[in-house]
Amino acid sequence: MKIGVKYCGGCNPEYRREEVEEVLRKHFKISYSEDVDILILINGCRKACLAEEVEHPNILVVGSPMSEEEIVRKVEDAMKELGKAKP
Amino acid sequence: MMNGKEYIESLRKYKPTVYFMGKKIESVADSPILAPHVNAAAMTYELAHDPKYEDVMTAKSHLTGEKINRFTHIHQSTEDLVKKVRMMRLLGRKTGSCFQRCVGLDALCALYITTYDIDQKYGTDYHERFKEYLIYVQKNDLMAAGAMTDVKGDRSLRPHQQADPDMYVRVVERREDGIVVRGAKAHITGAVNSHEIIALPTRAMGEKDKDYAVAFAVPVDAEGVVMFFGRQTNDMRRLDGDIDCGNAKYGTVGGEALIVFNDVFVPWERVFMCGEYDFASELVETFATYHRQNYGGCKVGVADVLIGASAAIAEYNGVEKASHIVDKLTEMVHLAETCWCCSLACSYEGFKTPSGAYMPNLLLANVTKLNITRFPYEWSRLAQDIVGGIVATTPSELDYKNPETRELIEKYLKGKADVPTEHRIRMIRLIENLSIGAELPESMHGAGSPAAQKIMIARRANLDLKKEEAKRVAGILPDEDYQRVRGEEKKE
Repeated sequence: MKIGVKYCGGCNPEYRREEVEEVLRKHFKISYSEDVDILILINGCRKACLAEEVEHPNILVVGSPMSEEEIVRKVEDAMKELGKAKP
Repeated sequence: MMNGKEYIESLRKYKPTVYFMGKKIESVADSPILAPHVNAAAMTYELAHDPKYEDVMTAKSHLTGEKINRFTHIHQSTEDLVKKVRMMRLLGRKTGSCFQRCVGLDALCALYITTYDIDQKYGTDYHERFKEYLIYVQKNDLMAAGAMTDVKGDRSLRPHQQADPDMYVRVVERREDGIVVRGAKAHITGAVNSHEIIALPTRAMGEKDKDYAVAFAVPVDAEGVVMFFGRQTNDMRRLDGDIDCGNAKYGTVGGEALIVFNDVFVPWERVFMCGEYDFASELVETFATYHRQNYGGCKVGVADVLIGASAAIAEYNGVEKASHIVDKLTEMVHLAETCWCCSLACSYEGFKTPSGAYMPNLLLANVTKLNITRFPYEWSRLAQDIVGGIVATTPSELDYKNPETRELIEKYLKGKADVPTEHRIRMIRLIENLSIGAELPESMHGAGSPAAQKIMIARRANLDLKKEEAKRVAGILPDEDYQRVRGEEKKE
């Protein structure tokens, strides 16, 4: 299953967005691509500009600091859901 | 949707217990003391029917799909948040006063979000219950007074620690059909001329404060509700005529009241939080964010009137071209528009909550309100500078209207020859009303005092991230982008 990461513009982030990517890289194989099964949008704040702009069937939105466990759980849940949906 | 006249008429159906100056007010709709506040609130109804304003004054209910007054709408987008502050500025400009209805709107929005979150955690049904109530408010186009500030007693003690347990509104009895509440809420804007009172907790609560973690709605004339309408500077002038009031039609600020809940019964369908102390701070923070968002709208609308009055009096005095006057007026505009920028910014930077409702950016909403605790003092100072000392020494309306003395006042209070003396006096009185009375402390303390905003700003200041940026720029931390630009990737 392919996992992609897309960052918002980072004008005034409320936390270190890179930490989300670091966690993702530790647990999954990810790429900077939208042509993926699950697209993770890393927003710097709760405004979550990307969520308004990007169209993708399987999106995970991050807009505030999350623990490593929470990030991993969310991605795994999304993978499970997608796995169920696929024939 | 009601229009202004229908709103005033609707108040006759309610019989709230209201005291002022030692007497009971028999009819809110007919009291000359309350009239300016009733008129200002009526504008929130009237303009919704005017094709020139309906785009900001109305919305489509996300629950019923019907066209509703925006003062009963739950924001469904950042554009809704922006339209809310546009509505605030419009009404501030139209009334030169407080039109009061925003507090209830903000209480509705805060409860929409928090009841959803409580249900997610505890499996309660507050949100569905609240939605039913919201539909009732929307369908009947009701004005709700948002009642948050408790009387607080000893400020160093938590609610359950107070010598008198009624210093914060609390549940004194839980019954099968509802709860009984006791306590009082202070400085409640538009309370006496609302249809409903929505009470919210005023602070974060601990487990021992459980009985104080209560949110509910009651009609203004519910049994046991007693209100005391507060005094304002120069309030009795409205009994003497209209000129000395400055703004006889719409008054100044909201007409605040002390609301006492004297063992008031609230049926369960009107209870939206009861004991969930861990959600009290979320409710307070959400309400405060919505309410602080408003102030760069409404106060700037009022500032538009004050700036206009200052420019007009300069003309009446023949000094409109003096460079220091132009400079002062420009400074007033700059201050006002800075606050407007803040309200727009926190709205555009708003976000969707799990309930689906949108709320403004918390940091920027608090910055908006903190500016309002300061800038109105400065634009009022400039207005007083422009108008001159006569703002505090003008003879009374009664002397002006006295046939024996009118001629002398006509002659000696004259400005430019082509400006009627009465116009000059009216403009001076308007500036007095807007820059000397209750308007300024309301700017300071309405929606929370400056310290409350500072706490929120400090909490969201994110100094760690700013320090990191500083260290990178100072060369203490690596700067990967810089290294790439300079081809120095391996040097640092």
